[in-house]
Amino acid sequence: MNIDFGNILLLTRKEILDARRNRWFILYTIIFAGLSLALSWLGLSGLREYGLSGFGRTTASMINLVLLIVPLMGLTLGAMSIAGERERGTLIYILAQPVSHLELLLGKFLGVGLSLLGALTIGFGLSGFMIAYYGGTTAVGSYLALILFTFLLALTSLGLGMLISSALRKADTAIGISLFAWLLLVFFGDLGIMGSTIIMNFSIEQVFMLALFNPLQVFKLSAILMLQGNLEILGPVGVYAMRQYGAQLLPILSAFLVSWILITFSLTFYAFKQRGAL
Amino acid sequence: MPMQYIRLIPLFLGLLLGTIHEGGARVFRIPADAPASALQEAIRRADDGDTLDVQGGYFQGPIEIDKSVTLIGRNRPVIDAREQGTVVAVYVPGVTIKGFVIRNSGDLLNEEHAGVSVDTSDVVIENNRILNVLFGVYLRKADRTVVRNNRIEGKKELPIPRRGDLIRAWYSNDLLIENNTLKYGRDVIVWFSKNTVLRGNQIEDARYGIHFMYSSDCEIVNNILTGNSVGAYLMYSRRLRVQHNTAAYNRGPSGFGIGLKDLDDIELIENLVVDNRVGVFIDNSPREYDSRMIYNGNVIAYNDIGMHMLTYVRNSSLRLNSFIENYEQVAVSGMGQWEATQWQTNFWSDYAGFDQNRDGVGDIPYRAEKLFESLIDQHKALRLFIYSPAIQAVNFAARAFPVVKPQPKLMDPTPRMEPYFPKGPRGIQLPTRWSMVFTAAGLLIFGWASFAGFYFLTGRRQGKVPDATMSPVSPSPKNERTQGVESMIQVNHLTKRFGRIVAVDDVSFTIKKSEAVALWGANGAGKTTVLRCLLGVLPFEGQIRINGFDVARQSKAARHIVGFVPQEISFHDNLTVSETLDFYARLRKTTSDSIKDWMERLELAFYQEKTVKELSGGMKQRLALAVALLSHPDILFLDEPTANLDMKSRENFLGLLEELRQEGKTIVFSSHRMEEVFSFANRVLVLDQGKLIVDAPPAEVYQHLGKATLLRLFVPSSQLEAATELLTANGFKVSRNGMGIKVQVEFHSKGKPIFLLANAGITVEDFEYEVELI
Repeated sequence: MNIDFGNILLLTRKEILDARRNRWFILYTIIFAGLSLALSWLGLSGLREYGLSGFGRTTASMINLVLLIVPLMGLTLGAMSIAGERERGTLIYILAQPVSHLELLLGKFLGVGLSLLGALTIGFGLSGFMIAYYGGTTAVGSYLALILFTFLLALTSLGLGMLISSALRKADTAIGISLFAWLLLVFFGDLGIMGSTIIMNFSIEQVFMLALFNPLQVFKLSAILMLQGNLEILGPVGVYAMRQYGAQLLPILSAFLVSWILITFSLTFYAFKQRGAL
Repeated sequence: MPMQYIRLIPLFLGLLLGTIHEGGARVFRIPADAPASALQEAIRRADDGDTLDVQGGYFQGPIEIDKSVTLIGRNRPVIDAREQGTVVAVYVPGVTIKGFVIRNSGDLLNEEHAGVSVDTSDVVIENNRILNVLFGVYLRKADRTVVRNNRIEGKKELPIPRRGDLIRAWYSNDLLIENNTLKYGRDVIVWFSKNTVLRGNQIEDARYGIHFMYSSDCEIVNNILTGNSVGAYLMYSRRLRVQHNTAAYNRGPSGFGIGLKDLDDIELIENLVVDNRVGVFIDNSPREYDSRMIYNGNVIAYNDIGMHMLTYVRNSSLRLNSFIENYEQVAVSGMGQWEATQWQTNFWSDYAGFDQNRDGVGDIPYRAEKLFESLIDQHKALRLFIYSPAIQAVNFAARAFPVVKPQPKLMDPTPRMEPYFPKGPRGIQLPTRWSMVFTAAGLLIFGWASFAGFYFLTGRRQGKVPDATMSPVSPSPKNERTQGVESMIQVNHLTKRFGRIVAVDDVSFTIKKSEAVALWGANGAGKTTVLRCLLGVLPFEGQIRINGFDVARQSKAARHIVGFVPQEISFHDNLTVSETLDFYARLRKTTSDSIKDWMERLELAFYQEKTVKELSGGMKQRLALAVALLSHPDILFLDEPTANLDMKSRENFLGLLEELRQEGKTIVFSSHRMEEVFSFANRVLVLDQGKLIVDAPPAEVYQHLGKATLLRLFVPSSQLEAATELLTANGFKVSRNGMGIKVQVEFHSKGKPIFLLANAGITVEDFEYEVELI
């Protein structure tokens, strides 16, 4: 397949330009930065008179925030990306140029993805200053690892959003379905496993395996493992995962997230090709 | 005589002539340049009660002290065991070791190599730096020993299970361990030792900062325990007072700030327990029925679990404690008993009550009754979902529907409205972490770069016409393919379905170079779909070749030689004209000269800084044509190009197309305007319901035009009724359509109804017609 990287770069630039002009995107950036700053401040400043800070609590809050906001950002921005242009008619016009479907899709994914990562990085950067100011005890490496896994989650969500978008004509429909997917990933999925575990008395192993199907849980496991060095906080399932997979656990979890990105992107390409510009 | 023995002579003379103190004790000075063996030799020659005043220097260990001497180091003299055995061993009571650097013990756990090993009572170890040692200070039956103001560091490179204890006290009563700074070891452990005081020590990066086993009547006061696996783990002891300690950031596998196991009569008072995995862990304490545990005034904040209680916790009093923002304030495991346990006036950061009488105490009790906490207490596997937003949903559901609310784990009938912060605990000074500052700055730069930097780095600013330094034109496939290809476009059995609807049905045609071909037909005939298939932007059945390229497989290559103007012009509204042309010029790999040419030729230069949404329909059409022509393509596809233009714009546009045709471009356009089709096309492809029904020159197509032409007449509303009656009376098939009337007429007599109405005095304000085909 003949891929023109110049085209991809050009389309990436266009997407970044679009993101800078997208009110939703700017709103998400402000919300994420504001919330991450607020959570850091709440966690770190309370015991300042003793020179103490609650970075553990802060990271827990950050994980919680990431689990809530980042999939929403990725899914909705992804959902708008293709269906929106399809609806406006700009998609067919770009595809009428000497650009392949794959180049267009890669350009979109990279452009929206890079903008999304930029938005997240601004939030993490501002929080980083607050952590430094309050003398948080976390290692820089752990913090960067949290950011890295947040990026992977963001790209996974973006991939899912684009998959939804690639199959639909109307942006509103795509956003609606992406919101449902968000509910499914953030709430219903976990609630389903929790309910099933109580009713059907799943084994520890089964609960762990079921959780791996949800990229949000995979992110959470990875982030806690990187920040705290083990998963004991997650009870027997965490201990099981550590003992069963040991040092391989983090590579396995990372591979799961990367697989999510690759699989959703492949499916998006297939759906996009099948559906075409309309 | 070897030189080293000669150098010892003044020392021995010094010892013999040493200053006699009151009471008979002597003080001997050992110079800094004394040989490495001088210290051990001096001890051998000293008497009980003597003082060895060491002026600095380096002395080789191991050193064995079997006299009750005082060793005073000035200028930090070094005693170095060079990784062999214990550095200093004390065997007689009454020894003081002060002011030395004691370093590099061996690392054999089975031989318990230590910095200072004490096997006797009444020893003082003070103001030393005990560095790179397996055990720091090892006290065996060392009653009344004082370990004070020392800096003790273990072997940092060893994993924690291989490290020795920073201080180990074994059957040693009445110890005072005070104001030491300790790190990189296993524990500070006190075994079977009564009346020990641990005060003001700072312990970090160890396994258990403080570890008590079977040691009673002790005080643990004002210590700072940070970054250990467990801050303090107290076991099998009674009557301990644990007060004003700070246990923070202890997050090892167990991660307790303070762990209490099988204890009796413990007072845990005004400690800071912050950001541990578990703040206070209580297991089977108190053990005995008549003993009592007191937890007063502690600040338990930002831990994953504030207080975790295992089985049979009872007879305890918890007052004035502040539970602040712990992920789970109190956890209970097993069949916890709460017999005679009193929770009173504690602060709970998740308390949602009120204080109407402003007495500082909430008017309704605090109840720890979160549904999720109750669930994980019963189903441990569910702890996996900690931090998940679903947990908030579960707890919210329990609050909204009290029927699923669990039994409260505990109830504090008088919760405080404000936290209580005790004055006693020592704070710690955390410096600004510059590495984090730089990281944060780096992140912000990356964030900025993602938005703006990437944009600037990968291209010029938008809004200006590209210059001649733009990337060169890549070789277009047309250069290789056009020669010798007579048929520019070949379509064989093209079929396009949208679900069950067949939009294009088995259409085949060929278009030669420089032909102007019209796709003609009513709305929905399939004209636009054919053009989109030709472009390769829709999947289709059949085969299309453009200039030899198979569109199904090589659509991108084919599109290099095709310019396209859609019916609905859909540019990105926020881009300016020049930004739009720049973007598409780059996609089409063309030069800036081409942009300038077409801007001038299509009179767009004046509008170059306007955004697309500010343009009129005609200007958008011109812009679309400019984009289509940027790379001077051989083929143009135009989809209803004049549909949205006024008459003047249409004339201009058609004039331009005529020029392009004369330049030899192959043009395929769709239109429903008959005059355009007949005046401009060489050939007309007539489509009806997706089928190609006529493929002929315009003159021949004329023969196929049917009788059933639809005429729309616009008459004043007051004359609508009369007009309808008149035409019906004259045999026309008439129907009303809003402000107008529709009349079926023969193609060659379209004027007849208009004459009829005009003769009857009815005003015909305007008319339109559509031609139907045979």
